[in-house]
This record gives sequence, structure tokens and C-alpha cells, in this order.
Amino acid sequence: MRTVMAVLLAACLMPRTAAAGRSFYGWLYGTEVMPERGIELQTWVLDESGKYGTSNKETWLWWGPVIGVTDQLELALPIELEWQSSEVDNVVKASFTFRRFGIEARYRFASSDPAEAPSLVPLVRIAAKRDVIVRDRLRVEGDAVVSYDLGALNALVDLGVVADVATSSSHTELRPSGGISLRVSSGLRIGAEAYSELSLDARGESWAAVGPNVAWTHGRFWFSGAFGIGVYHIKTAPRVMWGIAF
Amino acid sequence: MRWLAVVAGVAALGVGAQRAAGDPGGRVVGTVKVTEADGKPVAGADVIVYMMGFSEPPSDQVATVAQKGRKFVPDLISITLNERVSFPNNDPFLHNVFSQSPERQFDLGSYTRGEKKERQFPKAGVVDVYCNIHPEMAATIIVVPNRRHTRADPTGHFVLEGVPPGEWKVFAYTRRSTRPTSAQVSVKSGAETTVELSIVRGAELQHLNKYGEKYKEGTQVYKDK
Repeated sequence: MRTVMAVLLAACLMPRTAAAGRSFYGWLYGTEVMPERGIELQTWVLDESGKYGTSNKETWLWWGPVIGVTDQLELALPIELEWQSSEVDNVVKASFTFRRFGIEARYRFASSDPAEAPSLVPLVRIAAKRDVIVRDRLRVEGDAVVSYDLGALNALVDLGVVADVATSSSHTELRPSGGISLRVSSGLRIGAEAYSELSLDARGESWAAVGPNVAWTHGRFWFSGAFGIGVYHIKTAPRVMWGIAF
Repeated sequence: MRWLAVVAGVAALGVGAQRAAGDPGGRVVGTVKVTEADGKPVAGADVIVYMMGFSEPPSDQVATVAQKGRKFVPDLISITLNERVSFPNNDPFLHNVFSQSPERQFDLGSYTRGEKKERQFPKAGVVDVYCNIHPEMAATIIVVPNRRHTRADPTGHFVLEGVPPGEWKVFAYTRRSTRPTSAQVSVKSGAETTVELSIVRGAELQHLNKYGEKYKEGTQVYKDK
């Protein structure tokens, strides 16, 4: 009995992480949001390689502050940088550019308190970004996200849509995705997710990837990532995200 | 303080002891004596007395722990399991109330004067509450699985009315208690049971911020204007 009490006591006194994780997924938007007046710097890095059997590669960097406006609404002010590489006739062309900047809002339709929130939590994300290269192009993004919490297991469906609107031409694509994440310790989660981009016109590309994901939180720092293995018109699509709260 | 969490957690599984209709239950009265670790008596200490071993439904009332003058006021309360606590900010600057206690973890974010947030407490135990901005702010919420809990008067005297008949434990707690203080009581309907309790008070425990880090140097001292 003494041993049991000692173990219980030790478990209670062990340092704990501040939260279960800001995002459990790599490609999917989660339903977690910042507490009111919380500020976090987030960085996302994503790769898309070998689309349509080519050796083309793209790497995107998303960086920006995320601000908790209320306990259910957060705003992000991202900038996006793009690196592209393509090979034509054994000649590799590469470019690196500041591509977009904008604003996005994420609203969670439930209490942010895990003890008071229902198992089913919806979230809506809306973003508007100005294209720096094509000056009259505006990118509008939307996501309807639903997560379901079953104790240690979290399941999530994210139905996204992206529209590039410009005076000359427009482009629309759907981004349906889903995943699961299992808590293996207070700061670590593992799971799997599927992500796709489906163009609704001839201007875009369509591809899909499936792969494992991992999320880790320690104090004010969190990390999540997924390694997407191509199942349709792409070879690999890894993505990592990390954030630090202030 | 963690031992209380364990005791309370176990007690939360206790039996539901309902008094029969018209049964006034028993009365537990007594005195709590608080001393410092060196044996010096502490006058007017804030003491909560509560019963363990049986459960009762919560009331509709919402308790309040305000933030005022860079302090939690009051800094020690008891509530019944599943009751709510309101945390209004009465200071003209931001506070960030949080708890990392295993019984109830929450982060209320930062909010300013006139705003308040509420949380429900669905697990019995001892919940330590702090401010992420002001390390000198600390409060304790004792979540009891029944309604038989009260605050002792400044002389340490307390009365618990309507206690169901049975063999129960009565606990006394003050912030900075260093070891368990409890006594077994036998409660009979319509009868009064007397109990004397004593608590040894220790130093204020150091705590970490909501990220599990030490507070920055210089934020430890409260500079009054």
C-alpha cells in the first residue's frame, strides 16, 4: 500500500506539460485554439515532390503570429514563402520567392476547456491572402473541421476549399482530408492521416497522400508533422509545423 | 498538499448517504487550532473544514474567487463536486488564471477588469490555482463530494449541520498545510459530535508557470504603488 501511495504521490508531483498539443496533425487543421490574448509564433514547412511522375519539387514556408482574440476565436497573420524546382531537358530551374501574405481566422464552436467541451467539436477557418507575384490575385481559403474526442483517441475530418480569384483567371480546388491521433503520453501523440488536393479546373493539379503523423508538446513548445506518401499523382508530401507560445 | 488530492479522489467514490425525509441529521462542531512549524499559534487563519466518505448532489450556487490587488480573494474556498467557480478580474490590469492540478487543469487566458470566466469542477480533490503573470497569486479550491463543508470562524470554531448518520472522516485544511489533519467521527441523527483538530502550517510552496517553467526574475516581488 505504501508503494502504491508513493507511486501516486510521485506521479502527482511530476512536472507536466502545459497542454496536450496545439495541433495533433500535420496536414489537417485541428480544432484547438489559443486562449484569450495568448500569442504564439507558428512555422509550417511543407514539401510536395514528384507530382505527375515529374521530378518537380515544391517547398512552402508558412510563418506568422497567431493571436487568441477570445477563448474560441484566433487570428493568424501569415506570410508564405515558396521554393520551386523543375527539370526540363536536364536543366534544373529553381526559384525562391515571397509568395503571399494575409489574414486568417479560426473559430471553435465549443468551449476551449477540454473538461467542459463536448466530444464533437466543430471549427471553421477562413483565410484571405494576397498573391505577391500575381498582383491582382486573391486567395480565399475555407475549412470546415470536425473533431471527435474518444478519450485518448482523436478523430478529425477537415473539408477544405481554396479559390484563387483574379481578373484574368480563377482556380478552385477542394481539400478533403481526415485522420486519427492517439495519445501515448501526456505530451506525445501518434496517428495517421490522409490529405488530398482536388482541382476543379484544368489550371490546377490533383493529388493525394496518406501517412503517419506525430505530435509532441513540451511546455510552451509544440511540434506536429505528417509524412504523406503519395497515392495519387505525387511521390511524397511531408509537412511539419511547430509553434512557441508567449 | 498532494496527499489531499489522493484522499479526496478516493473519497469521491464514497457511498451516497442520504438522510431520510424529515431527518435533520447530526451536527459536527469543533475547533481547529493552527500553528506554525515552530509551534507558534496562528491567530485568525483561514480554515476550511469538510466531511469525507459520502456524496451529495451539488447546489446551484456559483462560488467566486476574484482577482484583486494582485491577490486571489478569497484564496481558499470549498465547493461541492460539479459546482462552478467564477473568476472575475477586479484589477485594472491583465491576469491569466490557470491550474495544472491533476483534478482540474484549465487556462482561462488573459483578461482584464470587469471580465470574468467560470469553470466547473467535475472531480473531487484539491485544485491549486495560480496567475501566469503574477507568481505571488495563489489560491486553493477544495472540491468535496458532499455539501458538508464550511469555513471556520476566526477563532477556529466550526459547525457542520445536517450530516448524515454514519462513521465519517472530518478534515481541516488551511493553505500551506504540511500534513493531513483529520479525525474519525460517529454521527447520529439529532445528536451533536464534538471534534478538535490541529494543523501545522508550513512555508508557501513554490510553483511554476503554466508552461512548467520558473517565473522570470523580477516578477516575484509585488511592488505596491
